[in-house]
Parts: sequence; C-alpha cells; structure tokens
Amino acid sequence: MADTKENFEPKIIAFCCNWCSYAGADLAGSMRLKYPPNVLPIRVMCSGRISPHFILKAFQKGADGVLVTGCHYGDCHYIKGNYITKRRVTIMKDLLKFIGIDPRRLKSDWIAGSEGDKWARVATEFTEEIRQLGPSPLRGK
Amino acid sequence: MEYRTVRTICTYCGTGCGVLLEVMDGKVVGVLPQKDHPVNEGKLCIKGWNAHEFIYADGRLTKPLIRKNDKLEEATWDEALEYVAKRFLELKEKNGPDSLGCFSSAKCTNEENYLLQKIFRAVIGTNNVDHCARL
Amino acid sequence: MENLKKNIKNMLESGEIAGFLGIIEEEGHPIPFLFTSEHPEKLDEMVVPDLRYPMTDILLTIVRQYPDKPIGVMVRGCDDRALVELVKNQRILPELVRPIGVACTKEMAEYCRCNQPFPREVHYGEKVEGVKDRSDLEAVERKPLDERLDYWMDQFSKCIKCYGCRNICSMCFCEQCTLEDETLVMTGQAPPEIPIFHLIRAFHMAGRCIDCGLCEEACPSHIPLRSLYRKVREEMADYLGYVTGQDEYEKDPLEFLGSEGYEIPTKIDET
Repeated sequence: MADTKENFEPKIIAFCCNWCSYAGADLAGSMRLKYPPNVLPIRVMCSGRISPHFILKAFQKGADGVLVTGCHYGDCHYIKGNYITKRRVTIMKDLLKFIGIDPRRLKSDWIAGSEGDKWARVATEFTEEIRQLGPSPLRGK
Repeated sequence: MEYRTVRTICTYCGTGCGVLLEVMDGKVVGVLPQKDHPVNEGKLCIKGWNAHEFIYADGRLTKPLIRKNDKLEEATWDEALEYVAKRFLELKEKNGPDSLGCFSSAKCTNEENYLLQKIFRAVIGTNNVDHCARL
Repeated sequence: MENLKKNIKNMLESGEIAGFLGIIEEEGHPIPFLFTSEHPEKLDEMVVPDLRYPMTDILLTIVRQYPDKPIGVMVRGCDDRALVELVKNQRILPELVRPIGVACTKEMAEYCRCNQPFPREVHYGEKVEGVKDRSDLEAVERKPLDERLDYWMDQFSKCIKCYGCRNICSMCFCEQCTLEDETLVMTGQAPPEIPIFHLIRAFHMAGRCIDCGLCEEACPSHIPLRSLYRKVREEMADYLGYVTGQDEYEKDPLEFLGSEGYEIPTKIDET
C-alpha cells in the first residue's frame, strides 16, 4: 500500500486531556459534526501527562502528525498541567526542526469541553495541513 | 574509605581497550575508559562498559566439583587437579593426544589463556585449542 | 602546585575533609584517585593533567557509600556546573563537598569550545576567557530540512548502542534509565531504533546538560552529539530563560512549576 504524495492519507495521533478536549471531541460527535477519520484520539487524564516520549514514539512508529490538546490556561483540572505541556511542546518543536522533521507536524491547541465545533475545525485544518506536507520522512525507516 | 582506579585491559575481544576498574574498599564497583590509551582513546563498547559485571555474579563456582555417580560433589583443589591430570594422561595414552582439546574464555586473563594453550600444545601435544570469542 | 598540595595535606590532616578526589600519575598515566590522610605521601604524585575524567560521577559513587563524610574534589569549570546541578537535584549536600577549583588553560578552552572554562572559586591556574562558538549549530542550520534529516539519520546509524554517552554523563544519575525501558524504546537489539534513541536522550538533556563535551569524547562512532544537546540548551535559554549550572536556587522550568509557573513562553512559533 504505497502512499505517494498525491493520494496519501495522513495518520494523525491526537492526545486529548480527559476533562476538556476529549469532552470537546465527544461533543463534536454528539453534534454530528464531520471531521476526517485520519485523526486518532488517545485520551490521557491531563495534557501534562503527555510525555515527550509519547510524541517521539508516535513519530517513530509512522505518524504523520501529532496533535496535543488540552484545557485552556487557568481551566486545567489539575491546575497547572497545561503550562508545562506548552513548554514541552515548544522545546520539542525546535528539536524536531533541528533534526530535519518539519515542526508543523506537531501542533498544540487548547480546546474546552464545550467547543465541539473547535475540535472539528482543528482536526480538519490540521489534516489538510499534513496532507499538504506529505508523508512523514520517518515512515518506513 | 578507599577509592582507587586500576589500569587494565578489557578481557573481552581482541582489540584490547584500556579500561580503568573503579575499586571501592576492595570491591570493583564500576568501569571508566582510560582516556590516554592509544587503542581506544577514552571510548568503550557496551561489553567494555560492563566488563566488571561478571566478577560478583551469582552462579559463579566457588569450589571445585567432581562428578561422582552422576552427581557433582564438592572436592578440594588438590583432589580435582590430581583427577584431571590422571584422566588426561590416561586418555592421551589410550586415544592419542588429539582426543583432547581445550576451550578458553574471555573472562580469563591473557596470562591464563597463554598458560592453557601452552599446556595443551607443549605438554599434551595437540593443537585443539579454542576460545569462546570464535563463536 | 606545591602550595595546592600543601593546602590539601592540611585539609586532610585537620579533618576538614575525609578524602580528596583528584588525579594521580601512575607510570606516566593520570588516573583518578582518592587521597586520604592515611597515605599523605601519595599527594606528591598528584597532577593536574590536560585530559578530563568525570569527577562528579566518581564523587557520586563515593558519596553513595559514605553519605556523611566531607569530601574534597578537584573541579574544572564543567565539573563545577555539574556540582551546582547536583545540589539542585539533591544528590549531594553542599556542606559535605569542598570543591578545589582548577582553571583550564587557553588550549583546553579552545579544544572544548567551552564558554566558561573556570569554576566559581579558582585555587590553581589562571582564568581565561570563554570561547563563544556556534559554528557546529550553524553548520546544521544552514542545511534545508530534508538534507538535515538525511545528515542526522546518517550520523545516528553509526551508533553501536554502547551507552557510553549516558554512562559518562555527569548529569545522568537516574536509577532507572528510559533508554532501557522497553515500553518506550525497543530494547534487546543493536543498532538502536533511530532517531528516537538519540532524541529521547536529547530531550532529557533539556534543563540538565552542562555542556562539558564528555559525551562526544566517549562516543566510539564520533556522532556529533554535543551539537544536539547544545541546541536544546540554547532553546531552554531562549524560550524559558534558564541556563544550567549557574544558580543553585533556580529550579528547572521543565520540572518545577511552583508559584511562578504561570508563564507562557513568549517566542512561540505558531506556524
């Protein structure tokens, strides 16, 4: 199943925090909003749980894009988890750029539990962006 | 409280990297590469970095053992060496020197390996000499 | 040099320190040694050589066995930064360590491309200016993205998984290393899974690397590891304003949030 740049389907892993962004994704489902099936959500209790190892492992195993979503600042169920996530993602993006992986493949966004439409919009836009960028250079290595 | 490092050569492969064994109160606790050694210049492979692990490993023999009636029983060094020498000479008489061979180890020192091959080549008269590194 | 030896002898005899961790010359080879008051004559063979050993690593080995004895240690600029970080991470107690500072020569500073070749207190040697050299990072940054990835995968494929970079690192003191954890990295095979093996280590060095260069010296495959860790160190300084090895009280922003944790990095690349 060779994926050429023209007709490939991106594989995107989305890490969602249990209290806000996963609830937002659930709401997008209840509202019957359409978003591409390329996005595979993985629920964690807080975005602060997302270790940089998870992001690296996702890329190593062939993910074309990684989306890290959490609560808005000040809304984290565990008070400060999302602050540390943002720091980690910032450092990780620069590290990926230094290695030669496009930093646009890693994105972080804050989605509340009531923003089902934002979840659908972010998922759709990110899938399009990754589709333009092409398959991950680490696929098949 | 005593800490010192001892310069030695890694026993594993034939490269012969310079290794410093860290000795704390008479026990070997770790390994550091020797930075000014001409062979490795301060770098080691994974076997070199763990060259000290086998010294205190469980399951190392602590006493000589002789098989009697299908069971391994403890013996003294004198008993064991007499038995080995006697049987070697018997087998050499009966089947010729090439019926015997030896198998040495990377965990022995170079000097021990030299002695072993010298005994088999000069005393017993065979060149069936081998080493675990050839596997 | 004689003054230094006399001072150390006095410190040992007065009981101010139970032992001094320095370098002794044995048949022309400088190797680490712990000088004690039982054999004060060994101090005559003490040297300050041009090559470096991971003194703080050895200090940790000794402190683990004897946690309440005061120990003196010979430190260069890099070892001193490691001491600051170890105190911050509560691996050693500052009142039980007496660093004797040795400043590096100009040749050593240029060889190591060190930007702080002297410790906080210098007892031997003359301070020289640090070298600010970004050329290794610039050489990588000049390449376009796909060339960069090819270059790094090429370099990483030389790795023989000797764990030398981790074993000799002064800041790798974890009891359980991620690089040996089978849920995160494939274990039991060599060569390692690239680039995740080196990227995990590079990310762990964020907020820890003191830029001593021992990792690159210990790599048998000559992988340019130091440029990876320097880049992460630079990012920490740029985005979060944190430089390792400077202040014993400043906490690592990737690990501690405290009450000042409510800051969002200002330079954020949102593309």
